[in-house]
Amino acid sequence: MAATKNKSLQQFDTDDPNRIQDIGWTFKEVWRRARGTVVVSINLITFFILWELVVIYADINPLFLPKASEMFAELWVGLTTRAPEGAVFSGSILDHFLHSFNNLMFGLALACLIGIPGGLLMGGNKYIEAILSPYVWALASLPRIALVPLFILFLGFTTKMQVTIIVISAVFPIMINSWAGVKTTEKSLLAAARVFGANRVQLYVKVVLPYTLPFIISGIQQGIGRGLIGVVIAELFGGSSGLGYLIQRSADTFNTAMTFAVLLLLIVMSLSLINFTRWLEAYVAPWRNVNHI
Amino acid sequence: MIKNDPIIVANDLTIAYELHRERKKLVALQNINLEVDPGEFVVLVGPSGCGKTSFINAISGLVPKASGSVTVRGSEVTGPGPDRAMVFQDYALLPWRTVESNVRMPFEFQDLGISEAEKNKRVKECLELVDLTGFEKSFPYELSGGMKQRVGIARALITSPDILLADEPFAAIDAMTREAMQAEMERIVMETGQTCVFITHSIDEAILLGDRVIVISYRPGKIKEVVNVNFPRPRMNNSDVKTSKEYAELRDHIWNLVKDEASQTNRGE
Repeated sequence: MAATKNKSLQQFDTDDPNRIQDIGWTFKEVWRRARGTVVVSINLITFFILWELVVIYADINPLFLPKASEMFAELWVGLTTRAPEGAVFSGSILDHFLHSFNNLMFGLALACLIGIPGGLLMGGNKYIEAILSPYVWALASLPRIALVPLFILFLGFTTKMQVTIIVISAVFPIMINSWAGVKTTEKSLLAAARVFGANRVQLYVKVVLPYTLPFIISGIQQGIGRGLIGVVIAELFGGSSGLGYLIQRSADTFNTAMTFAVLLLLIVMSLSLINFTRWLEAYVAPWRNVNHI
Repeated sequence: MIKNDPIIVANDLTIAYELHRERKKLVALQNINLEVDPGEFVVLVGPSGCGKTSFINAISGLVPKASGSVTVRGSEVTGPGPDRAMVFQDYALLPWRTVESNVRMPFEFQDLGISEAEKNKRVKECLELVDLTGFEKSFPYELSGGMKQRVGIARALITSPDILLADEPFAAIDAMTREAMQAEMERIVMETGQTCVFITHSIDEAILLGDRVIVISYRPGKIKEVVNVNFPRPRMNNSDVKTSKEYAELRDHIWNLVKDEASQTNRGE
């Protein structure tokens, strides 16, 4: 067995099953895989402990900076309680989180439904591209926050307004990325497909679309970031629910621990969503980032 | 033996590209007349930008011609067809597909009336031919350059095309692997009896592989000289060929032809 292990790869025939060797679960292998998580955990725990100690020993006014433990306590309580049925206002983080999260997901879904086909059409047809691109660039370059007063005017302080702002924030990165994916499809791949007999439909379905898929996913990834900004802005400006509203309200009522708790929740939500799309991108397009495997 | 009818005939072929920005037309190839016999291995050499690729693309049906004609087995080329296959310089493998699926690609795009079992058999045969058995489930990014190009060759062979077109297939491959690949190319073409039109920048490659070496001049591309190469095959693992006096003379001769043209390229026309 030991002799087999030391054999250099060249000595194997291409059809020899021993050519690919099982590394197994050695200690080194487990550490190699867990290393990242362990380092991040230690780093974060140290950070929160330092935070706690600084607040205690530097005697900082909890109005400005609460103890880390208070923030976590607020977060725990907020996430485990819900407002009673029929309450006018909820102090529960969970209620507001669900409101924001549902809006975000709904807004992102709409942004995908508009952005992906829009971008694909723009990439695929030069007339559609010529007609739509000035509007896309104009709206994409406009700071979306500038549109909020207008949407409040149109739709009032409603969930519809909040979702509209999320859509308008998230749709352009998705559309522009899909568009760019189609436009940058490698010429040699198209040439190869054509040489081997692909017609126009096959060219799109079997070459352009798979090539564009990772672009679409990274568009969605950017869309999540922009959409979250949209969520918070819409709720800060107008509304009586959502995490943006809760930030505003808790700060107004000097409940800084809750403000920090909501900010932490926003960070966790954003990172989780973005990491999910990163994983998805690596999963559907492993060839784009070989180093990460 | 009676001489067969030529399989590829280029008749006064001219190819031009429009340069919109400069409101000009660039003539890439001008008045090319060439006949290729069945089973012949023709190598095109010439400086960068002389239109070699345009010529091969005209045979494959990828590039519309400005005037003249290209016929394959007597019928005019109007688009790609299963009788012609191409090997690309940058491999042009679909990165999201496995080796097997890439090789099978031509079957998906064109209906050749072949049964599924027959297709599977062909895939297996072609992968065997290029020595890639065992890598069916690998993805292109997991392979070395030489292996990627062997996938490219297997894909080109899958439909048993009469004509194999190769556009600098080994240019991006390291020198040692390249020699092995050249030997494989020679072996495969000898085994299959295919007609091959091959582009290269390497004069050694041209002499070792070609029955005829066609030197093309710089812009607009014209045939400068056709050089016949009569060494017996297989040449690749035959050290007598490379050390022979004729080889050195031939190499010098072609080099002198290409050198003039290459210096023109450097002057920028």
